[in-house]
Amino acid sequence: MTDDDLKSLFEGVDRIEPGEEARARARQAALAAFAGKNAQVPQGNVTPLRPTPSSNPLDGNGRSRMNMSKRQWLMGGAASAAVVVLAVSVVMKIGNPPFEPRSVLPVASEGTAPKPAPPEEARRDQQAQLAKRQAENAAAEREAVAGPAKGQAMADSVSQEMSSVASAPTPTIAQPRPSAPQVSRKMVAAAPPSSAPVLAEVSPPAQYQEVGHDRFEAVDSSPVKSVATEPVSTFSVDVDTASYSFVRRQLNQGVLPQKDAVRLEEMLNYFDYDYPLPDSRETPFKATVTVTDSPWKPGNKLLHIGIRGYELPRAQHPASNLVFLLDVSGSMNSPDKLPLVKQSMGLLLSQLQPSDTVSIVVYAGAAGTVLEPTPANEKQKILAALDRLSAGGSTAGGEGIQLAYQLARSSFKKDAVNRVILATDGDFNVGITSNAELQGFIERQRDEGIYLSVLGFGQGNYHDQLMQALAQNGNGVAAYIDTLGEAQKLLVDEASSTLFPIAKDVKLQLEFNPQTVSEYRLLGYETRALKQEDFNNDKVDAGDIGAGHRVTAIYEITPAGAASGLLEPSRYQPQQPAAVGHASEYGFLKIRYKLPEESSSRLITTPIPVDGAELSARMARETAFATAVAGFAELLKGGQYSGNWSYQDAIKLANSNKGEDLYGYRSEFVQLMRKAEVAAAMK
Amino acid sequence: MSPDRQTLEKARAGDAAAFAKVVDSCYASIFRFAMKYTGQRQDAEDVAQQACIKLAHSIASYRFESAFSSWLYALVLNCARDWHRQQSRQRADTLDEDCGEAVADSADESRVYLRQVLDEVDAMGSGYRDTLVLVAGEGLSHREAAELLGVKESTISWRLHEIRKRLASAAMQENGHD
Repeated sequence: MTDDDLKSLFEGVDRIEPGEEARARARQAALAAFAGKNAQVPQGNVTPLRPTPSSNPLDGNGRSRMNMSKRQWLMGGAASAAVVVLAVSVVMKIGNPPFEPRSVLPVASEGTAPKPAPPEEARRDQQAQLAKRQAENAAAEREAVAGPAKGQAMADSVSQEMSSVASAPTPTIAQPRPSAPQVSRKMVAAAPPSSAPVLAEVSPPAQYQEVGHDRFEAVDSSPVKSVATEPVSTFSVDVDTASYSFVRRQLNQGVLPQKDAVRLEEMLNYFDYDYPLPDSRETPFKATVTVTDSPWKPGNKLLHIGIRGYELPRAQHPASNLVFLLDVSGSMNSPDKLPLVKQSMGLLLSQLQPSDTVSIVVYAGAAGTVLEPTPANEKQKILAALDRLSAGGSTAGGEGIQLAYQLARSSFKKDAVNRVILATDGDFNVGITSNAELQGFIERQRDEGIYLSVLGFGQGNYHDQLMQALAQNGNGVAAYIDTLGEAQKLLVDEASSTLFPIAKDVKLQLEFNPQTVSEYRLLGYETRALKQEDFNNDKVDAGDIGAGHRVTAIYEITPAGAASGLLEPSRYQPQQPAAVGHASEYGFLKIRYKLPEESSSRLITTPIPVDGAELSARMARETAFATAVAGFAELLKGGQYSGNWSYQDAIKLANSNKGEDLYGYRSEFVQLMRKAEVAAAMK
Repeated sequence: MSPDRQTLEKARAGDAAAFAKVVDSCYASIFRFAMKYTGQRQDAEDVAQQACIKLAHSIASYRFESAFSSWLYALVLNCARDWHRQQSRQRADTLDEDCGEAVADSADESRVYLRQVLDEVDAMGSGYRDTLVLVAGEGLSHREAAELLGVKESTISWRLHEIRKRLASAAMQENGHD
């Protein structure tokens, strides 16, 4: 086959002239979009051609749905495709020629009033409206098992229709007029990122969501282990909080989260327990061990390990070199995604020092630099760059990550925190998409001093597993931002924890004393388990602790001789001879960590006495609250080990141990448990 | 058919009349490209409309750094790709609703043939369809196509070579069956 043969392929097609009708329609749509973009009018709908019931099949409903529509995406193609999908059955039954969905758009040539639709067109109109209503209902009830495109397309087709209506025949085109998309865009934009953050827990407006495509790794709860056979338990710390926010979001919508979405340690570590601070800067954090009775199993004990890192006063914050890597692909086109990303980044900006640098890389179909490294005191420039972003296209996440690291390297500061902050819904479908490859890449960058934090957004198509993997390999935090309130907690109140690591590769190893403990179970941390030999191997990566971070781990132990254990004594193995002289200890806790700039680890050890000192009221309160959180997480996971303990018990326990609760997170947690109780009862 | 610089400047500054001119002067070429990419009138019209809307949004970002035509190619190509992705996602759940379409004239016939070829080329992987349409359909040089697609010139040549090979073997198979 020659080039000429190939060329001849297209020759016949090249002779096809564009249809006049289609051309006029495209022109109208383009002009409407253009007018909408350039209109400088106050917010509000002042056009006389506002959507009326006759022009808008969605009636009043349509107006409230406008704010979910954005400009981009395949209005034409996707809209017709969506309507075709939904209407094709109707059409086929009647036995029509292929349905032409675009006729739902009022076609009006310039300067003339729209003609009354011919009967054929009117009928199609009705079908399209019917199809749309069906789609509308389905989407509203979140029962539509549909791809993202369809839902999006439906919304867009509405906005497109409105824009054509708004821009239909008027004598002058030159004069900028407001159009529906213009209004909707303003509504979506909401408060500018620089305005004072509001902590009101406003859930995002109801709108179409992709349902049921959130991806979580399925992990079994760690089993009960016998001290006789496996006395040593090793795991890495984890400061992520993503699971809690995700669970909260689900519960606020009145459904129980899927079990795999509940990671006990991330729920536990969401709260800022008031553990004692380290005595000196020499050790970056302090571990406090307390033993309390298990509320759900009489006889068992709960062994709490509470770690708190030192707080970094603002004046001592190291310089930061941040690269925001933002996903602006089509899937981010929803109020709880890109607009929230922009607001969140604006919030974070307020926490930076003037000399810190910020750059912005976006990725969609292709990756691009939106903002070269810019000092944080040029706030307007950064905010303007953020503000210009809009969503559309596919997701070349891998390419974006490479570009972001390149940029971070170009403005690398030796004594600063160099960090890439990735904000995405986790949908990587172009470029390096192999997770292993991505992780390897991020790991190498980490060794060169550039860290990665991952902020997850949106739901319905959230890829938790990938987010976790990326953040863990990048020495960063994986968090999930569902509301502006969460963004504030993470990026303002806890900015120093999120940004400044004080210890890395923090590993815990607990050896139980068979003389005093017969069996044990670690609550959560399943994905963070390490092999016993990894503890002393500095090459093995583990979790990091940021300034002021709190990490809590809870073991449920059965003291020797108690009848509350689950394991039967072995018939054949002889009972372990008790070690002499340690009958007063439950076990021995060892913690290994590295300072951020060091590569060899340090060790902290502490024995855990059976008869510890009396707990202070403060510690008793904090451990009790942590217990309530852990118990609640266990219940959400199915309550395999929590006996008859119920949501009510958890609520009672949490309620009486809320403490000061300055930010209201603990009260919110109690509310969540109530919602879970209701959701569980309805199931 | 490229609009002159003055019109473009005006359109960039927000002049709606100038923008209308830009659309008028480009629509035909946008449509033809879309037609070659999709092989179907309806889809081509959708893609073209989408491209016009996108043009409205992004004309302000055109900075005369490259020729307007190549800038426009990139834009239309993006729309076409969006359409394509959309379509391949939906192909699973919709019947190809015009498979029963009657072949009325030679233009239709070449369209059907083109669609078959495009499907065949699609199966070779991403980027092949773009390459074929740009080089064979639009008559771009390998270098121009390479720049647009962000790949090496040799990649374009290689892809075309592969496409020819593939189509030739497909044709042979068909003949063999006859």
